[in-house]
Amino acid sequence: MAKGVRMENIWKIFMPKVIALKNINVDIRPGEFFVILGPSGSGKTTLLRIIAGLEIPTRGRVVIGDQVVVDADKGVFVEPRDRNIGMVFQNWALYPHMTAYDNIAFPLRIKKLPREEIDKRVREVAEALGIAELLDRKPAHMSGGQQQRVAVARALVKQPDVLLLDEPFSNLDARIRVTAREFVKEIQKKLGITTILVTHDQADAFAVGDRVMVLRNGEMQQLGVPEELYGEPANVFIANFIGDPPMNIYKLSIDHPMVKQLGVLEEINEDYKEVYIGIRPDEAVALPLNEEGHLTGTVTIVEYVGSRRYAKLDLGNGISMRTLLECRADHGDRVRIRVYKLHIFAPDGKRIRTLTLVH
Amino acid sequence: MKKLFKYRRTGLIGSPYKILVLNIVAWVIGVLWITPFIGIFMTSIKPFREVVLHGWWTISPFTFTLKNYVDALFNPMFSLSRGILNSFIIAIPSTVIPVTVAALTAYGFARFSLPIKKYLFATILFLMAVPQQMTIIPIFFLLKNLSLLNTYLGLILVHSSWGIPWITFFLRNYFSLLPVELEEAARVDGATDFQVFRKVVLPLAIPGIISASVLQFAWVWNDFFFALMLIFDPDKMVVTQMLPRLKGQYQVDWGLLSSGSVIAMLAPLLVYAFFNKYYMSGFRGWAMKR
Amino acid sequence: MTQLKITPKRISFFIPALILILVFVVYPIIATIILSFNINPIPGVNIVERPPGFENYIKIATDKRFINPKGIETHSFPMGAIIHNVIWIAIHLPLTLIVGILFAVYLQYVRGGSIIRSFIFLGMVIPMIVGGLLILFSFDKDLGVVNLLLKLFGLGFLARTWTIYPDTALFSLILGSVWLWSGFSVTMYSAGLSSLPREVIEAAIVDGADFKTILFKVIIPMLKPVTLTVVAMTILWDLKIFDVVYAATQGGPGGASMVLALLMYEYFARLGDYAMSATVATVLTIIIIPVVIFWIRSVIRGEREV
Repeated sequence: MAKGVRMENIWKIFMPKVIALKNINVDIRPGEFFVILGPSGSGKTTLLRIIAGLEIPTRGRVVIGDQVVVDADKGVFVEPRDRNIGMVFQNWALYPHMTAYDNIAFPLRIKKLPREEIDKRVREVAEALGIAELLDRKPAHMSGGQQQRVAVARALVKQPDVLLLDEPFSNLDARIRVTAREFVKEIQKKLGITTILVTHDQADAFAVGDRVMVLRNGEMQQLGVPEELYGEPANVFIANFIGDPPMNIYKLSIDHPMVKQLGVLEEINEDYKEVYIGIRPDEAVALPLNEEGHLTGTVTIVEYVGSRRYAKLDLGNGISMRTLLECRADHGDRVRIRVYKLHIFAPDGKRIRTLTLVH
Repeated sequence: MKKLFKYRRTGLIGSPYKILVLNIVAWVIGVLWITPFIGIFMTSIKPFREVVLHGWWTISPFTFTLKNYVDALFNPMFSLSRGILNSFIIAIPSTVIPVTVAALTAYGFARFSLPIKKYLFATILFLMAVPQQMTIIPIFFLLKNLSLLNTYLGLILVHSSWGIPWITFFLRNYFSLLPVELEEAARVDGATDFQVFRKVVLPLAIPGIISASVLQFAWVWNDFFFALMLIFDPDKMVVTQMLPRLKGQYQVDWGLLSSGSVIAMLAPLLVYAFFNKYYMSGFRGWAMKR
Repeated sequence: MTQLKITPKRISFFIPALILILVFVVYPIIATIILSFNINPIPGVNIVERPPGFENYIKIATDKRFINPKGIETHSFPMGAIIHNVIWIAIHLPLTLIVGILFAVYLQYVRGGSIIRSFIFLGMVIPMIVGGLLILFSFDKDLGVVNLLLKLFGLGFLARTWTIYPDTALFSLILGSVWLWSGFSVTMYSAGLSSLPREVIEAAIVDGADFKTILFKVIIPMLKPVTLTVVAMTILWDLKIFDVVYAATQGGPGGASMVLALLMYEYFARLGDYAMSATVATVLTIIIIPVVIFWIRSVIRGEREV
């Protein structure tokens, strides 16, 4: 039975002055693949460790299923071993002196299960994760990807209610990462286990997450499905953090010509002297001069990212933009820029509106 | 209620009461552990008669006296003040010489390719383990023939040679961890081997050199056996070999012996205290082969 | 890293060390071995006047100070220097390991644990001759800590100067040596502990292991390299022990606390029998060789794993 995880008013302060988490409130649904995304120092690992019981919040409480596992104000604390969680650490944390079999069997041996039962479960899990032939090996004789699977096996073998993953992909080569992501996503779907994954890599988050929560300096910035974070970023930070290549973001005064050219002025109600304007490279195109568009610029560099071509453009007055390139252009050519979508942010960073420009 | 968590450092121990008890027990053990030091110190600053009658742990009566120290330092037969001087005369050169020589050798081991290196290495490890007793008899007669018996120089040479194996081992580990690129850059700039060693490697290796020196100094100062076998004149004796002679034939005069012990252990303790960082990192680096 | 080719000029880096070691370390070792067979190592210098041969080794085997079968049979001291050293190892080594790992773990959780660790380490800093005197002091009937504690627990009738009785002299020295040497194992294990990856321990916590299980099934096995080093170093120290015994008991009473290194000294200084002294030294070194080989192998294995 999948269990949800609820975090209420979680604060974590490391004495004397470091505030790692500020008033985090999340309700993770049973069976959900939930991702906590943030740069280093955002508090994401701290939050995960609080759920695991390796850290204690300064204030607030965590509920797994309907069991309160920690309540800082009431002095309740349930040991990690009694929370029925499985955890995969960033460096796998396999026991170096034990074989893969013993590593995976360890939590079951602690529970003092009968030997046949342990053997059955270990082999089941190993089979499911495709590491059955590795059971006799020690961690030192395995590749990174294999070690990770053993670590996942160890976490899953006790059939936990919640699976926690701490930056599981950051130690893997780029080529294995894609496979590893798919593998983890498949397993999660098959088992239906509530899974919480922590990462700083936005691509990882979007590849596997049902919902993603972005943290920055201990505060929640936005929580939603990946499409929301991508299409309607709540603030400038998220807009910049998510998306590759990164969004073009400009801090412009209201009188700036670009503001008028994009037709933004009419959309702002308040008395702002400046605004942020964000345009994703994938949502703007560089076209020949005679086409219809909003802005004009000069090509400085043409880049290939995957199957797409991007142009870096100089718009004058020190403004540069990256857009898709759909015509032949070389360094020095002047092009017309057509913008399909843009975001307007207030001076404090919060998003005001998202405009879809029709032309 | 928050206090419930305040003492939890690991989450594995449990209630704050248990932690408090554990702390107290640990400190009791700690104090008990240094009681011999406390005892010998107290004995040294009280008149021995008083210690015999009332013990060294009593606060009343308490007569503070330096007589024991005076008796030890200016003892007619084995004057510890002379002993300390001799210990320094022996220990300082016996540190400088082997560290210098071993540094050169260690660098060679770290950077030059030698066909027989593995065997030389094993030999060094073997030499480090051999007891002093295995070398002393021929050394005794060798020094005698060279008229170096009962001389400072003789003992210094013996200590220096004895220190070279372990210091070489220690510094070689240290050098091999330094980045080679700087030396390669220096070579490209035209420096000779010796210049590279002196101008690039040595400055970088100073912490390791200090560690080795501190440990060697303490080791030589603490040595008893070599001094016992090779030095006979009371005015050349080092402080460690004078101590047993203060023991007395029939009765142990703990007044004298305690002050002597304190005097003898002062130098290594001070070195340990002031150079603690280097002392401990040297200690760990030597015994924990990496 | 490709290393530099050896040239005549580069050999000069090794020369000073080579000279000193050859003259003052290597030659003396070889000469001692030769001398142990009653052969004069330096022709012309008459150190020994007996015919060359194994005579000394046979003499040693029957020397009561070296090995005393009667004492061994009746379980009474003296049992002979070599037996005393073996007993020393048998008691000192396990105690050192246990004290080392226990205190290293324990003191991690105590406030000011590092201060207590440095208290324990003091025994390693002082000259061993002072260490021997401190042991003598601690076991003294009236002044010693040991007897004070006994009196404190109402066992005052047991109080005596333990070091002057044949049955207890060796044991009091051995216990004292645990007090002196534990600083070594505690420091080694502490360093080892702090280099253990924290995540592995946390994984064990999440896996549900309690403290005892983590200690015995995860921490101690992972500290095996430290254990090997401590074992090797401790055995070597116990075999070579000299200053402590010289200061406290001089090997007495009646040879009840005689050890090999001291026996070598006795032959040299008191009996003037240089050749026999060399024989004892050689026997001591022969005993050390297997320990050194064991140590060298674990060192090289450790290097290969890195």
